[in-house]
Amino acid sequence: MEAPDEQLMLAYRDGNAAAFETLYARHRARLYRFVLRSVKSRAVGEELFQEIWMRVIEARARYTPQARFTTWLYTIAHNHLVDHWRKRGLSLVSLEGDDTPGASPDPADHAAARESLARFAAALEALPPLQREAFLLHEEGGLSIGEIAAATKTNEEAAKSRLRYAIAKLKAAMSDG
Amino acid sequence: MAEEHDPKLSRHYRSLEPIEPPPALDQAILAAARRAADRPHAPLVAPAGRHRWYYGLAAAAVLMFAVALTLHMERERPDPEAAAEPAPQLRLERELRGVIKRAPEAESQPAAKSQAPAASADAERFAPDPQAGAREANRLADHATATAPQERSRVAQAPKPVPQATPASPPAPQAAPTDEMRSRPAPAQRAKVEAEAKAAARREANAGQEYAASAAAPSMNRVVTPAAPENPERWLERIAELRSRGKHAEADKELAEFRRVYPNYRLSEVMRERVEGR
Repeated sequence: MEAPDEQLMLAYRDGNAAAFETLYARHRARLYRFVLRSVKSRAVGEELFQEIWMRVIEARARYTPQARFTTWLYTIAHNHLVDHWRKRGLSLVSLEGDDTPGASPDPADHAAARESLARFAAALEALPPLQREAFLLHEEGGLSIGEIAAATKTNEEAAKSRLRYAIAKLKAAMSDG
Repeated sequence: MAEEHDPKLSRHYRSLEPIEPPPALDQAILAAARRAADRPHAPLVAPAGRHRWYYGLAAAAVLMFAVALTLHMERERPDPEAAAEPAPQLRLERELRGVIKRAPEAESQPAAKSQAPAASADAERFAPDPQAGAREANRLADHATATAPQERSRVAQAPKPVPQATPASPPAPQAAPTDEMRSRPAPAQRAKVEAEAKAAARREANAGQEYAASAAAPSMNRVVTPAAPENPERWLERIAELRSRGKHAEADKELAEFRRVYPNYRLSEVMRERVEGR
C-alpha cells in the first residue's frame, strides 16, 4: 500500500528527500498540464511549474496536514497563477499568442478524430480563466467542488457555477462538431 | 456533483496530447528538494552540533566576569572616613616599614639633615605617625622610670627636624603632606591623639620632674612628642621656665641642645635673657 501524500510530505519535512521524489512523481504530470493549459505558454508554464514546486519545498517546515496534499498543492499553484495574471493584466484572458501543443490545430492535417480533439482543445482555451481553472482543477487535480472553492479562495457556489459553465461550453463545442 | 462531471468530456480531455515536464526541469526540482532536505530548518534553537560548547563557554565567561567584577567592587568599596585619606596612611605604613624613604623631604632640608643626620632620620621616619609613636612609646615605657631626664632628651630629639616644617622655618613643599598626614589619622585615633597631645604638652611645659611621673603613661608622651613637636618658641619657653625655676643645669642642657638643632635661630634680647638667665 502506497503511503498517502500527506505522510510523504511530513516525511520530507523531516528531511526525507526520497519521500519528496515519490510525491513529485505522483503529481508532476498533472500539475504540469494544469499550469501549461492555464497559461497557454510553454515557457511561462514551465517557469510557473518550477516556482510552484520551489514554493512547496520552501514551505515544507510549515506544512500541516489540515487538508489533502493535493488541495494544498493546487492552492499554491492557483496563487502563482493569480500573481502571474496580475503581472500580465488581462492578457491571459485573451486567447492570442498561445503556443500550447494542440492549440493551433490544422484541420487539414488531422483526421476526423483529431478534429474532435482539436475542437475540444480550442474550446478549453476559449474558456474564461476562472472556468478553465475550475475544470482543470477538477480534471487534473481531482478536486471536489469544496476543494476547488478552497484552492481558489471562493465559496462553493461560485466554484460549482464556474465548473458547470465550463462543462456546458465544452459540451457545446463537442456537439457542434 | 453529477452535473459537474461528464465521463465523456473527461475522456476527451484525457485524449488530448499527453504533455509532461521535460527531464531537465524534473532534475532541477528534485535537486533543489534534496539540497533543502540536507539543510536544517531555520535555527530557532541553538544548534546541537559541534559548536554547542561555544555557547556554554561564552555564558560561563560572562558569568565569571560578572562575579569577579562584583567581588572586586565589594572589596574596593571604601569606608566613607577611610576613603578620604587612604593614601597618606598607606604611605606612612610603608615609611615605617622602610619601603619608602622620605628622601624628597630630607633633600629639601639639607641643613637640618647635616646637623643631626641619624637623629633626624629616625625622627623623620617616626615622627608623623601617631601609631608608630605609640609603638615606640610602648617600647620605651619599660625604661621610663628614674632615667626620665635622659629619656626625655632622647625623645625630645625625635621632633627636632619636624619643627622645620613649622612657620618658624620655611616649610618644604613636601612638609605639607606630612603635616596633613599627621593631622588626619583615623577619626577615633585622631581625637585620642589630639587630646593626649594637649595634655602632654601641658605636662611638659610645667616641669621636667613631672615628666618622670608622666612615664606612668609613657605612650602618651611618646606619641605626643613626635606627633606634635614643639616649635622653637615653645622650646625656648620651656627652657626659660626651667631657668626661672632654678633648674639651671637642665636649662643649660636644653639650651645647648636647642642650639645644636637650631644653630641659625636668632634669639631676641628678651628671650636670650630669659633662657640664658642673664
